[in-house]
Amino acid sequence: FILMLSLALGTMITITSNHWVTAWAGLEINTLAIIPLISKSHHPRAIEAATKYFLTQATASALMLFSSMTNAWSSGQWDITQLTNPPSCLLLTAAIAIKLGLTPFHFWFPEVLQGSSLTTALLLSTAMKLPPTTILLLTSHSLNPTLLSTMAIMSIALGGWMGLNQTQTRKILAFSSISHLGWMTIIITYNPKLTLLTFYLYSLMTTSIFLSMNSTNTLKLSTLMTSWTKAPMLNTTLMLTLLSLAGLPPLTGFLPKWLIIQELTKQEMTTTATIISMLSLLGLFFYLRLTYCSTITLPPNSSNKMKQWSIKKPVNTLTPTL
Amino acid sequence: MALAATLLHNAYFCGRCCRHKALQPLLGPLLSDSLSKSYSSYRRPGSQPEKKTTWQNVDLSFKKSIEVLKTQLGMLKKETEDHLAGPEGQSLTHYMLEQTRVVWEFRSQEDLNKWVISSDVEIGGKSEVYLKLGRNNQTALLYGTLNTEVPRDGETKYSGYCSMRAKPLVGSFARKKYYDWSNFNSLYLRVRGDGRPWMVNIYTDPYFSHQKDDLYNYFMFTRGGPYWEEIKIPFSKFFLSSRGRVQDDQHPIWLDKISTVGFTIGDKVNGPFQLEIDFIGLLNDRAHTEEFAYETYEKNPPL
Repeated sequence: FILMLSLALGTMITITSNHWVTAWAGLEINTLAIIPLISKSHHPRAIEAATKYFLTQATASALMLFSSMTNAWSSGQWDITQLTNPPSCLLLTAAIAIKLGLTPFHFWFPEVLQGSSLTTALLLSTAMKLPPTTILLLTSHSLNPTLLSTMAIMSIALGGWMGLNQTQTRKILAFSSISHLGWMTIIITYNPKLTLLTFYLYSLMTTSIFLSMNSTNTLKLSTLMTSWTKAPMLNTTLMLTLLSLAGLPPLTGFLPKWLIIQELTKQEMTTTATIISMLSLLGLFFYLRLTYCSTITLPPNSSNKMKQWSIKKPVNTLTPTL
Repeated sequence: MALAATLLHNAYFCGRCCRHKALQPLLGPLLSDSLSKSYSSYRRPGSQPEKKTTWQNVDLSFKKSIEVLKTQLGMLKKETEDHLAGPEGQSLTHYMLEQTRVVWEFRSQEDLNKWVISSDVEIGGKSEVYLKLGRNNQTALLYGTLNTEVPRDGETKYSGYCSMRAKPLVGSFARKKYYDWSNFNSLYLRVRGDGRPWMVNIYTDPYFSHQKDDLYNYFMFTRGGPYWEEIKIPFSKFFLSSRGRVQDDQHPIWLDKISTVGFTIGDKVNGPFQLEIDFIGLLNDRAHTEEFAYETYEKNPPL
């Protein structure tokens, strides 16, 4: 319980900060609080995930501190919104990219998510993305837009490509997270409110998916196929949520994509908009495959886990229908 | 109890020396000689003296490097096509429906080259082990003599083990690849032994080096008759050990990143042994509902 409290504390500190040191302190509190959560199960893979997470996040925090120090050295002030020194901007972009998991610094993300339990993975992909996103929002006017757009496009591409033949649900959600982060980052220099909108909708959808998977305990694709026996209503809503994540029109997930494409075309970046819509087709392919596995096909077998007939945790069927 | 002692002294030496020396032929000139000098210059009685250092082995011919580049690019292209096709290179429906899969078969010399054999000769012992193709090229025969005579170097207490281990998968440009067996829940072996107990080891390649000795083991008891035996070992029965010592904190094996599988014999009995393997496969046993065989209660319950 105290770890959750520390997470909330760290996030609050970073969001409400206007001095670099408080922002960094909040991020460090978050990192330290989530490490025991990741390694709670004492499995070698969980410990490996916790070590990877710690190393990458510590590097990113150090880079961030370094960039703020060089900025303070050259401009004499520690305000987050006044980032004037160009090398500091570059370093900060790199640091935030590592923290969020944007390409080319995404390599830790699927492994860490795979090593942690489903609820911790949920926290990692929604709550832990909030403080770096706020810092990015506060400094977005002074960061190099070309660099951000390049990283965003690569993230969308890579998230779609690598997610194609994964069989572990947590890794699939990791790649979907990377892809959505790309969508969030591409619009941040032009209209930060859209970034926030994308982030909120994405966290809502991901929360419902993770919680649905948690109640049916699906860690891999084969378990997903037999989840219709456990809670049929949940399965239907899971399908809708997955398609919403993919960005299909009548569902909520289409809204941020539509607005982002509209904003990009207004900013004369039509080619970028076309490229990212094409790339998100890749992602759509694997979301469709997930829904195909879970809902549309009835496999010729049944699950051999005996204790799944009663649902241990309360199931949320309402959030997916958003 | 005999089994526990077996585990202790054979796997200790397996962990200590087997992997160190077994990985040298496995990974080739990439990693070999840097390992041999990381310890002191005392050479154990069984290991070969160093003839050539790494830098003398380098071949700087241009044509050969072009060929190597072509092979690697070909492998990369194949990997991309497999990635597009679906999990493990087969289509999704195939993955969804498969219940059995044959992973290693022994039909030709190339199949035998995917395995590495080792014995306690590395630490100075006297066991012998050989691997050859069986009759009609249908099986692999692992045979030899176990000799528990302890090498006289003052620090070894037990000896006498022989093992066979699969080489890890290598992708294009010498990247590591893993097996994804998450669809299955038992190992299926068609063997014909001679009554001696063997130990099956599964190595899930870890990322960090402090876990490199982690091995999941279980026993395989062979019957010895002239009839073939089909042994099914569920993955839930494998227990975790590190450098031969069974760990206190046990957890089930995660099947999504498996590197190699090995067989070891070390039952403290001097004499010849023989194991004929037809194939090694995987099975998704629908009747097996156990998730983990050891200590499934909560070890530190909240008060």
